[in-house]
Amino acid sequence: MKCFLRSLTLLVGLFFYASSHATDALPTLTTPDDVGPVVEQPIEFPHFRHAGDAKDGGMQINCMYCHTYARRSMVAGIPPIQKCIGCHQSIESVRDKPRIQKLFEYWDAKKPIPWKKVHDLPDFVRFNHERHIQRFYFQQDRPYQEVCGYCHGNVKAMTVAQRQKPITMGWCASCHQKDHPVSANSSETGHGPNDCFTCHK
Amino acid sequence: MTENDFSRRDFLKVLGWGGTAVALSGCGNTSIQDGQETVTSYVTLPSYVTPSISNYFNSTCAQCDAGCNIMGRVREGRVLKAEGNPNSPINRGRMCGLGLSGVQAHYNPDRVREPLLRTGDKGETITWDKALGLINEKLNGTKGTEIAFVTGGMSGHVQALLGNYMDELGSKNHFSYEAISPAVLRAANKKAYGESMPRYRIDKARVVVSFGADFLGAWVSPVHFSQQYAQFRKGSRPEGRGVLVQIEPKMTLTGANADRWIAVRPGTEGVLALGIINALGKAGLSIPADIAAVSHEYTTERTSKETDVSAEQIEKLAALLKERTPSLVLAGGAAEGYAHGSQNAAAIALLNRVLGNVGKTLEASASVPFPQIAPTVGSRSSLIALNDGLAAGKYKVVFSYGVNPVFSAPASMKFKDNFAKADFKVAFAQYMDETALAADLILPLDSAMEDWATVVPEYMAAPEGAGSNAYAQMSFRQPMMEKVFPDTRGVGDILLALLKQRTADKYKEFEDFYSYLRSAVLKNKVALGGKAGDDDEVFWNETLSKGIVPLKGIAGSVSAKASAAGLKLPVPTDADPSYPLRLIPAVSASMRDGRNANEPWLQESPDPLTTIVWDSWVEINPKTAAKLGIVEGDIVEVTSKSGSIKTQAYLFPGIHPDAVSVPVGYGHEAMGRYARGVGANVFGMLDSVFDKETGELALNETSVKISKTGQRVIIVKEEGPVGGSQAGKPKIAVQVSADKVDLSKEV
Amino acid sequence: MSVSNLLENWSKFRHTHPVDDKGIPDWEAYPSDIKWAMSIDLDACTGCNACSVACYAENNLPVVGKDKYSHGQAMHWMRVERYWDEGDNGFQAEQGARFLPMMCQQCEAAPCETVCPVGATNHTEDGLNSQIYNRCIGSRYCSANCPYKVRYFNWYNYPEQENAWPAPLNQQLNPDLTVRTKGVMEKCTFCKQRTYTARNNAKTEGRPVQDSDVQTACQEACPAGAITFGNLHNPESQVAKQWQSQQVDLIKDIQEKDEKEGNRLRGYRVLEELRPYPSVMYLERVRESAV
Repeated sequence: MKCFLRSLTLLVGLFFYASSHATDALPTLTTPDDVGPVVEQPIEFPHFRHAGDAKDGGMQINCMYCHTYARRSMVAGIPPIQKCIGCHQSIESVRDKPRIQKLFEYWDAKKPIPWKKVHDLPDFVRFNHERHIQRFYFQQDRPYQEVCGYCHGNVKAMTVAQRQKPITMGWCASCHQKDHPVSANSSETGHGPNDCFTCHK
Repeated sequence: MTENDFSRRDFLKVLGWGGTAVALSGCGNTSIQDGQETVTSYVTLPSYVTPSISNYFNSTCAQCDAGCNIMGRVREGRVLKAEGNPNSPINRGRMCGLGLSGVQAHYNPDRVREPLLRTGDKGETITWDKALGLINEKLNGTKGTEIAFVTGGMSGHVQALLGNYMDELGSKNHFSYEAISPAVLRAANKKAYGESMPRYRIDKARVVVSFGADFLGAWVSPVHFSQQYAQFRKGSRPEGRGVLVQIEPKMTLTGANADRWIAVRPGTEGVLALGIINALGKAGLSIPADIAAVSHEYTTERTSKETDVSAEQIEKLAALLKERTPSLVLAGGAAEGYAHGSQNAAAIALLNRVLGNVGKTLEASASVPFPQIAPTVGSRSSLIALNDGLAAGKYKVVFSYGVNPVFSAPASMKFKDNFAKADFKVAFAQYMDETALAADLILPLDSAMEDWATVVPEYMAAPEGAGSNAYAQMSFRQPMMEKVFPDTRGVGDILLALLKQRTADKYKEFEDFYSYLRSAVLKNKVALGGKAGDDDEVFWNETLSKGIVPLKGIAGSVSAKASAAGLKLPVPTDADPSYPLRLIPAVSASMRDGRNANEPWLQESPDPLTTIVWDSWVEINPKTAAKLGIVEGDIVEVTSKSGSIKTQAYLFPGIHPDAVSVPVGYGHEAMGRYARGVGANVFGMLDSVFDKETGELALNETSVKISKTGQRVIIVKEEGPVGGSQAGKPKIAVQVSADKVDLSKEV
Repeated sequence: MSVSNLLENWSKFRHTHPVDDKGIPDWEAYPSDIKWAMSIDLDACTGCNACSVACYAENNLPVVGKDKYSHGQAMHWMRVERYWDEGDNGFQAEQGARFLPMMCQQCEAAPCETVCPVGATNHTEDGLNSQIYNRCIGSRYCSANCPYKVRYFNWYNYPEQENAWPAPLNQQLNPDLTVRTKGVMEKCTFCKQRTYTARNNAKTEGRPVQDSDVQTACQEACPAGAITFGNLHNPESQVAKQWQSQQVDLIKDIQEKDEKEGNRLRGYRVLEELRPYPSVMYLERVRESAV
């Protein structure tokens, strides 16, 4: 009996500990530790050159020009080499830069580039790019760099992409709890699903 | 604690994304490992591919001969699942468990991966060049009459190519063999209705009386008949809900779904059919004189005595058939596997004539207008011819493709020994099965999901509507992905290479079987539904993407010409006291003749009736078992004149007390990890008794005795210890009498 | 997600159970416009097992082999139960067997949900009984409390130690859902990955989900078309029409068929007297009395 009581106290205590911890103000969402590691890629792809602002020497290419599946598929997709070549075959000025030479080496050998995954979700998580792009880019009419940046950070200033957000469940949920306008011209708001089953597969 | 829990839990190590190798070991409670995984991009990507969204490729199922049209669900270059093609008149978008398991034949870890040559007891892998060269070498100097080719049922362009090859070799010895074939049915139908495979319209019948035709399980085209059955059971159709009566000594899946399952004494199905005709006459139906002349002898009393079916039951059945028309009477394996099987089938066919069903629920079929691609159907009798030839040393070079006669021939035929007499045996094989093991050269085949072919089904289902009487179809089988093993080859490619050895000039324009097939299809563009002016490329792509090519077929005709002339049914004799029980080899929907035994889903999918998995069993009626002192799980020896097997006893209410039943397809000694050593092979112990008219092996003519071995096991099965009893429990599977429900307004 | 979030949602969904503490139906308060439900016509079902195999193919179910099967460790989310009629001398086979496909009934007042110590199984907005694998600690209380016995526990590490998918069989695995590992409970999800995709596509197109958007794997395969699946809240859906025509109500624990004699209906739910309010309606098998 004593033993039972003791464990009961323990359980109740644990419960209160857990709930009190949870009802505390949410911990700061981004800490320096949340930034992902520097990932070495087969080609040091300069995001800033392609997506960066004109004033920084960028070409302001829409993220979804290359990551084209983001608006219609679960995954944003790494562009096929064909896509890179599509432009680069007619950009003579950078043709003999080492990175471009490397790109053409892959293309000529018809070998895929073994990119490393920068934003890696656990495999029990279902994240749907399409839903988020549809919601914020098309419905709410936010700028694409802002929309993609919610999760991917300021990619337009990066060379090789690096993770800038924690991408943990608490971080996802913190946004799902917020009310967002349902469209650009509406005062109506809604928030993301809170069903575990929506994101866990 | 929590963190440790999570890190222990290594989710999803197997799941790959494209060509990505996933190595996920928990790291913190998010398992995120940035920069560790490779996400491989494509070099080029066709516009129809979007990562994470499936593409569907229409093709044709190869798991049985029904030829259902399927769609392969393909993602990131891998086929994940076979689904039914909704535009198919055969399966109308539906699938059976056997068909669904086709992906496991494709990805099977036990597939043969390279050509193998056997020298003595040793095998070595060789190159394709060497393998094909060896065949050429062996064939040089061998006369056409000394070459034999044994295959299963075939159709389409592969068959046409094989025909050409046999012609080039000067050989007429193509043997088409199916271990389980409706050969008796074909012959009986031809005689009775003028067509070997008329269209059955279960969906139009008000009553279906099936003499052992397991049309929901393994008979002819089960997925198609299941669709018809669903229609047949709808209370909202104009004819009202149909009534199914199944007459057979061993309950099949169809029997389990019948409104009345009648356990007839094995072999007396024909007698019962004539008894019903006699009862119909008594009930006032006019019986044609030639039939009456035979059937009048079969009084209800005599029929009841010979068949073990009560007089009351016979009269009830006759009354039902008289009242509710049209009906449909089917004859299946259980009625045909006897020395007098053809006679049984002929007697049963008379019922359709008497009841006026021919032309109503038995319709004319249509055949494809190209005889070269029309199906060559297999039978057991061709194996007997091959075996005789082998025994006489007639054949020096033997090819086998898609069949496993060493496994499925009765031991009394001594097929394995006779096969060994041929000098050089080439097996086209996907698995190292029993026949491949006995061969000298094994050529690894592509799976049906990697290969090209065209298929013409034997049972030609048709869509509803105008022109259906002349509807025929050809279906495409196309690769859904890259080869799983790079060194396998398609059967068409092999045949083409062999043909080029004989006559290089004729086939030099075809680089591979694909180009042969494409050119053959384009040559007949108009007949295949295109217009002469259509662009070749566009036509080819459209045809392929549909997967089904409707053809204006040659319409057949059926007539009620079944005659009682010459019909003579044997009087049942008492059983031989030393072998008192009749053995009925059961053909299950998933295991069939055992060619798919190495697909684990099928092994783990319980037999619908006994719910047993991963083993064979012998079904014994509880009354018989009580007499023999056998209880469930006893390992018994089932002995016939020709052999014996040991297996577990299962007491089964759905079997006649004079019969026992063992499923076929189990008991492989080779083939692969999931098939080898599972159960016992009942084919081996069958007596060599043949149907007198067709020469087909009479599957149910083996008499056996059963003895206990003293060993006992706990049967591994799905059902609980109470064996399907609902007594004392809340209602679960509920049944209601048809007069207690209103089905007419159901949606 | 924080614990408070979980508790908040949990209590919310518990509150919107079909019947409140006083026994008053609270259907109106149900928060979603989708309620997935099924109906299975036992008169059409032939017991052929195609649904079960389709489930293996769709949902990455491991094949466990004879030994583990004998220990009751088979992982078939969908199983076909076979029953016999009983007579004086044992089972009566003359009327055939009875088949009943059994899978998670996605109960509205699911007994499994209340006993999970970690909230790994709870109710979703679209009326499913969810199972969150990475939350599950394997207490198996849910399975003990499930009246239908449709929850399956991973006693082994099937992908690795048991090598349930020896290469290249692993290439068949469906990437839309995980391969579960040792120590977690799993069960039928009404093909969550398919309903998810259907909802996603409908949302992108700005329209409600229709019957033509989604089929479960078992429904798609069923050769006799015995299984109907869809949104019970959409009166146009086939499943809603069937429930309606059988006068089966989600929030009742005894249906019209059993309440009154002679109304000639055949819709019922298995074990509904236990009041779990299951989402699967079965239609009784019909038997002709004239033979």
